[in-house]
Amino acid sequence: MDSIVGKNSALTWAVNISVVVLVLLWTIPTFGLLVSSVRDKDQLVSSGWWTSFSSVERNLIKRSAPASEQSQTDDIYLLKGNVFGEEVGVITAFGWNSKAPTAFTPGDTVQMRKGKELQINADGSYLLTSPIPFTSKKGSRLFVTSVEAPIFTLDNYSEVLFAEGIGKSFLNTMTVTIPATIIPILIAAFAAYALAWMEFPGRAIMLAMVVGLLVVPLQMSLIPLLRLYTDVGIGKGYLGIWLAHTGFGLPLAIYLLRNYIAGLPREVIESARVDGANDFVIFVKIILPLSFPALASFAIFQFLWVWNDLLIATVFLGNNEEELVMTGRLREMLGSRGGNWEILTASAFVSIFVPLMVFFSLQKYLVRGLLSGSVKGG
Amino acid sequence: MKLTAYLTAATIALTANVAIAETDLKFTPGEDARFNWASYEALKSVDLKGETISVFGPWLGADKALLENVVAYFEKATGAVVKYSGSDSFEAQIVIDTEAGSAPNVAVFPQPGLAADLAKKGKLTPLAAGTADWVRENYAAGQSWVDLGTYKNAEGKEDLYGFFYKADVKSLVWYSPENFEDAGYEIPKSMEELITLSDKIVADGGTPWCIGLGSGGATGWVATDWVEDMMLRTQSPDVYDKWVKNQVKFDDPKVLAAIDAYGDFARNDKYVSGGAGTVATTDFRDSPKGLFSSPPKCYMHRQASFIPAFFPEGTVVGEDADFFYFPAYAAKDLGKPVLGGGTLFAITNESKGAHAFVEFLKTPIAHELWMAQEGFLTPHKGVNQDAYASESLKGMGEILLNATTFRFDASDLMPGAIGAGAFWTGMVDYSGGKSAKEVGAQIQKTWDTIK
Repeated sequence: MDSIVGKNSALTWAVNISVVVLVLLWTIPTFGLLVSSVRDKDQLVSSGWWTSFSSVERNLIKRSAPASEQSQTDDIYLLKGNVFGEEVGVITAFGWNSKAPTAFTPGDTVQMRKGKELQINADGSYLLTSPIPFTSKKGSRLFVTSVEAPIFTLDNYSEVLFAEGIGKSFLNTMTVTIPATIIPILIAAFAAYALAWMEFPGRAIMLAMVVGLLVVPLQMSLIPLLRLYTDVGIGKGYLGIWLAHTGFGLPLAIYLLRNYIAGLPREVIESARVDGANDFVIFVKIILPLSFPALASFAIFQFLWVWNDLLIATVFLGNNEEELVMTGRLREMLGSRGGNWEILTASAFVSIFVPLMVFFSLQKYLVRGLLSGSVKGG
Repeated sequence: MKLTAYLTAATIALTANVAIAETDLKFTPGEDARFNWASYEALKSVDLKGETISVFGPWLGADKALLENVVAYFEKATGAVVKYSGSDSFEAQIVIDTEAGSAPNVAVFPQPGLAADLAKKGKLTPLAAGTADWVRENYAAGQSWVDLGTYKNAEGKEDLYGFFYKADVKSLVWYSPENFEDAGYEIPKSMEELITLSDKIVADGGTPWCIGLGSGGATGWVATDWVEDMMLRTQSPDVYDKWVKNQVKFDDPKVLAAIDAYGDFARNDKYVSGGAGTVATTDFRDSPKGLFSSPPKCYMHRQASFIPAFFPEGTVVGEDADFFYFPAYAAKDLGKPVLGGGTLFAITNESKGAHAFVEFLKTPIAHELWMAQEGFLTPHKGVNQDAYASESLKGMGEILLNATTFRFDASDLMPGAIGAGAFWTGMVDYSGGKSAKEVGAQIQKTWDTIK
């Protein structure tokens, strides 16, 4: 007995540890994304997120004040200021030439070209002297090595959230998503009931066809469908995209709901029939309330898919200002050539928000709904 | 149906709003003498009230705003409404839209190859008669621009379908003038000098080049530009044209020599920042940043005219960064070849407005308005060169106007499977260590399969 118990606990440990490892593996990328999204955009491109919690030494190129700000004492021309401007920093090394940017320690006075001298202190203040007037309009380059504390900021989020047109895009996405979630559920519920409880010839074949449709890649149908829309005069627009999403979502919806509805107790439905209820009454009064978990779980699936969709929206809706959806807007903010990490990371979290809300408000039904078909007569 | 009617009404109301909001123009007509306002006034004779022109192209974000600033003048003068929409998957979407019959009026193609494909399927409308003559007369190296925009239609009849507007120069080397000054380097005038300079930088303990090929799904295109530039500098333009049509094979010694000429730079550990091994994995957007680091990770970066968009914030082109012409070999008598690119406008859904829009692109004002903003070069000889927003843009414009040989980016002219496929991946393999012979044979094999 003891040995079995011992084995069990070792196994439990193994299971627990592997669960922890898996959870970590799955959450680390998201965590990294979250950290990146609140980092300063210059730091974001220069180092990985895992280095973001400690101070880093960076070599910076700063400029002295321009020649117009020089003052004169006796025969010497002076330029002074602070390399950090208004900010505060600590300097650990400096130089005046790109060949040797870290040659000197703060506080030293060093010789530059043409008799110029440079002194930079640890707090960033500098003094440039020259026997002849300064001429550079931009100021000389000053190379400093500074210790930089990590900067965390919400600027990235405000850039995304307050971008021009984002509110309109949010409404557009809602206009697409809500009907595109509700319409397939309505149709699928009727179809699922019919396929589960109404006797008619060819029922099994129809069900097989619906399941078969699950394997058809939707990309294949984009051109024919759009051509059909153009021919019948729907063209590009909301009606077209609702119908498209409905069509693409229906096979899975019917399959899921049929399995659930077929699993409802036969007695309930038969006794309702005996009491004189017709199919429609049974559907509305008994099936719909009982299959709420399955409806909810499919609603989550469909909502998430439509919310995140970019392909179908760009094909069936067009990309102009009035019809651009959220995903399209975020992509547009990345510019023609991409590469803006700060926008990418912040917008990922912005667009995650609504689906998360939907998921958490409906998630208690999700597992019930998915398991529904598996335990018959339950 | 009631719903669609309601939505249509709402859309109309929205567009009306947009049209009103866009009345403020970036440069007030008549004020700035750099612009050819006469051509703007002449535009007012075209009446397109109530006409909506949909334009679809690859430009997003900042580029899109620049185009819209130009288009605003067309709208103001003619009364038409132009709806521009951009997409980073333009290449795929324009095919879907034209196939499905829901094409925009005007499409902006970044690659002539794709436009030629669509013309062959009969999806493009030939430009108005006389456009070809106009381009020949008014564009520098006019015939080459006409050739690039002329395609066969479904019946095999040739016509001018594409009008080039907005060009890029690719044969540029970017550097930091101050770093050159600190180290005492001179701008090289010939390829030989460039190689000597590179060796000198290595001898001084520096690294001459920053090269990065990474670009997501398009990784490798940077290297194809290098090879094309090397082709133009080692072979006659005639060989280049034959290479584009595969009459000179990819495994031809002439092509392999050009690939190896690129390899002399990119596969030399001492020449490339981070070592030759990092070339294929460094993103092209990040690679120029090495010019501005302290100490400099590299001194030179060969890239097209658009790259300043990826310089660190606050970098002023002409002061903090500058460019010189990627020189030709002094020992070879090939003139001053320039590699470039451009976007072409084609009519995908014919309407009166679409033709008028292309006519508008011919006017000097349409060019000058974008020149005065940023990132725009034009081969149009009739525009005021002073309209360029900066000296550096003007300098690039001059490189374009003075080119003895202008050739379009070969990878954009080759069939998609090569120019946007095998050539890219082949160059990544080459940068990773495969021999030019193997890579050339592999690309040629792919080309043979699509014939």
